Amino acid sequence: MRMRLVAARSGTPRFYSGSATLPKGEGADVTGIEVVIPKRKTWDKVAVLQALASTVNRDTTAAPYAFQDDPYLIPTSSVESRSFLLAKKSGENAAKFIINLHPKYFQKDIAEPHIPCLMPECFEPQIEDISEAALQERIKLKKVKASVDMFDQLLQAGTTVSLETTNSLLDLLCYYGDQEPPADYHFQQSEKSEELEEASEENTEKPKKKAGQQLGATWRAKNNAERIFALMPEKNAHSYYTMIRGMVKHRAPVQALNLYTELLNNRLHADVYTFNSLIEATAMMNEKYEEKWNNMLELLKQMAMQKVKPNLQTFNTILKCLRRFYAFGKLPALQTLREMKALGIEPSLATYHYIIQLFYQHESPSKGSSLVIYDIMNELMGKKFSPQDPDDDMFFQSAMRVCSSLKDLELAYQVHGLLNTGDNWKFIGPSHRRNFYYSKFFSLLCLMEQIDITLKWYKDLIPSVFFPHSQALIDLLRALDVANRLEVIPQIWKDSKEYGHTFRSNLKEEILMLMARDQHPPELQVAFADCAADIKSTYESQDARQTAPDWPAGSLNCIAVLFLRAGRAQEAWKMLGLFKKHNKIPRNELLNEFMDNAKASNSPAQAIEIVRLASAFSLPVCEGLAQRVMTDFAISQEQKEALGHLTASASDSDSDSSSDSDGDINEGK
Amino acid sequence: MRGVRLRDLGEAEARQVGARAGTEQALEPQGACRPTAAASQPLPHQEQRLRFSVGKLCGSRVSEPVHWYFKKAPPWCSPGLGPWVLCWSHVLPCAWRALHISAMCAKNRVARVRVGKGDKPVIYEEAHVPHHIAHPKSWLSLHTGNLDGQDHAAERTVEDVLLRKFVLGTFPGCLADQLVLQRRASQVEVCALVLRQLPAHKLYFLVGYSEALLSHFHKCPVRVHLQTVPSKAVCKHI
Repeated sequence: MRMRLVAARSGTPRFYSGSATLPKGEGADVTGIEVVIPKRKTWDKVAVLQALASTVNRDTTAAPYAFQDDPYLIPTSSVESRSFLLAKKSGENAAKFIINLHPKYFQKDIAEPHIPCLMPECFEPQIEDISEAALQERIKLKKVKASVDMFDQLLQAGTTVSLETTNSLLDLLCYYGDQEPPADYHFQQSEKSEELEEASEENTEKPKKKAGQQLGATWRAKNNAERIFALMPEKNAHSYYTMIRGMVKHRAPVQALNLYTELLNNRLHADVYTFNSLIEATAMMNEKYEEKWNNMLELLKQMAMQKVKPNLQTFNTILKCLRRFYAFGKLPALQTLREMKALGIEPSLATYHYIIQLFYQHESPSKGSSLVIYDIMNELMGKKFSPQDPDDDMFFQSAMRVCSSLKDLELAYQVHGLLNTGDNWKFIGPSHRRNFYYSKFFSLLCLMEQIDITLKWYKDLIPSVFFPHSQALIDLLRALDVANRLEVIPQIWKDSKEYGHTFRSNLKEEILMLMARDQHPPELQVAFADCAADIKSTYESQDARQTAPDWPAGSLNCIAVLFLRAGRAQEAWKMLGLFKKHNKIPRNELLNEFMDNAKASNSPAQAIEIVRLASAFSLPVCEGLAQRVMTDFAISQEQKEALGHLTASASDSDSDSSSDSDGDINEGK
Repeated sequence: MRGVRLRDLGEAEARQVGARAGTEQALEPQGACRPTAAASQPLPHQEQRLRFSVGKLCGSRVSEPVHWYFKKAPPWCSPGLGPWVLCWSHVLPCAWRALHISAMCAKNRVARVRVGKGDKPVIYEEAHVPHHIAHPKSWLSLHTGNLDGQDHAAERTVEDVLLRKFVLGTFPGCLADQLVLQRRASQVEVCALVLRQLPAHKLYFLVGYSEALLSHFHKCPVRVHLQTVPSKAVCKHI
């Protein structure tokens, strides 16, 4: 038995019985062999699923799984994808509304075990009499006004309300700032809070005064919370904590700090969460940066004196406040980081996000940008994070922004590698942040990376991860131009029609310009001409919808040139006719090309047509064209006279003496 | 043989029925009595008798004539029977075996679109009749309730009815075909073929609504999968 175990451990499977291999001196060997029976492994409930999932990579041709897999129902732009997901969510909210309106039809419970989230919820308080249980129920249902009324009724009736209940009432009031929770609270996703967060993010660069008006409720003086607080016969530390945190949340820092002194006067100690709020309060006061920083240091010293251990949130709050100090905050931020390391608290992604924001506040790197990002990325390589701070999902966006402004591709690859480590993909954030991250990443790739790898990334990311902006596609086109891979352009145009860029005129102009710039081998010209015809049809359908037709001059030129080069002469001539209609002037090179084409097809009528067109537009090149016609073509007398008239009319408007004499000579002939 | 009970008919009609069923035997005139080959002794009662050829008992096809007697039952025997009961042996006073011959039931109308003038378009599902299930057609509702040793098939059927009616009503005029319902490890997957009548975001709204409501009702995850088609896929015109 023991020998078999040893053989198994050494990795060579022997399937005969162990006794055959027992050596003679087994007694002597037994003492040498030590069998270690490993501890029983406990597996996660979904371990098998996780193992299976690790074998499958993302399908780059499929839409995200939240959408129905059907061509009609797959979104084609980021606007559509957002609207579809919101529509689905609002359908679920409508269903929940109906379910909670008629709960009696959904009470039958056939699920074993019981699934609480599939039962209807009750949002109205059931207990009607005036008692403490009724008050607790209303607090649990988050009915602010009802619970305050119940509390007042209880006091009037003379019953004393217990300390815990009063504390929980204070919690409710301080959390919502003495206002009702928003009406769609039960259906609310984190959308609203995110928007508020973004508002606060943008406001860090704006002056601080504006910041106050956009967030939620402000703390009114003498509101219900303060009144109840004053009415309480006995207050414990928890009451003070709630009040202080509520005041700070609703932007009343002065009262918060006053309450803190009162707390100290009552010989109570604050806890770590209260200290975090107080740090925020000191940052909210209207003082100079140095004073604020000194106040914060004071608070931290008191915290140490009261033997309260700081946690991750403490340092994150400090850094968040330091962010608003602009250049002053850099040194204290580094000190904070060192302190954090010394205490052994592991920084979260939000910490690094604040540091990046502090050091890379302006878009363009002026006089020596910091190298902090490289240190950060070196530190973070290969680490897996778990959510610890609400701001954790801002890290990747800011990191990619910095990479993009520094134009460093290696760093971007490092950031992307960190994103793909373990579960870190969860920190990419909501859709607009994801789009921003990938847009910046892709633009950097187009700028700095070789074209083959860029095209591979293009196939990988678009459209399964994000829908490209038209600017991203223009960057890609420029990259193709630099790498001389213009044959991919028709494919890019076909793709961009699918992403909703059919009517994006700057993109179309770029495409046409790149195609029409140089001569290309014939097959490529044909492909380009087809692409140009397609773009022309989009312009025409756009015209049908608008009242005033408006084609850019460059597009008209390019389309005409492309038709001409591919041998589609008739369409090219139709394009010439369109110039007059849209009031645009053809370029000289275009007219010269038409002249070449006319010469190749040996038709003087066409040549004269060109000259007529040029004179109609009163172009100075009309002269040269007329000369060319006369030298290169064999034209009859009437045509010569007509030519003469044309040049004369052109030269009349020019009022050029030499052309006048030319015209005279022609007339004389 | 027709299926109408002769004892419910009047006398004259019964005779007519007998006459239609008869082949080579002539109709006995009223009042006469002719003994059968089996019975030689005189009959104990003098009721009217009609004799006509019918097929053998026990439900076999009409092959050779068997003599039947159609007469009034004696009152002392099986008093619960009506006046006219067809019996096949007048010998025994008891145990009158009575066969109710009544008109045949109508044709099977289950899940069949009746043939018209050739202008009615039908989809593949409607064009095939239920006895084609398991060869040109497959089941619309797939669950294990009907396998050997499994139970709750009836509950599944009732749930199916609710699911079909609910989705039919929720997607008004959009369904191009019957739903396909699949049950997979306590989940229900509703696969629907919809027309492109509604804009896509409205379809997503309805999908989210149906999924949430049906999940809460059945207390199990219900997923709705849509596939859109431009129009109903007409298989033939009947």
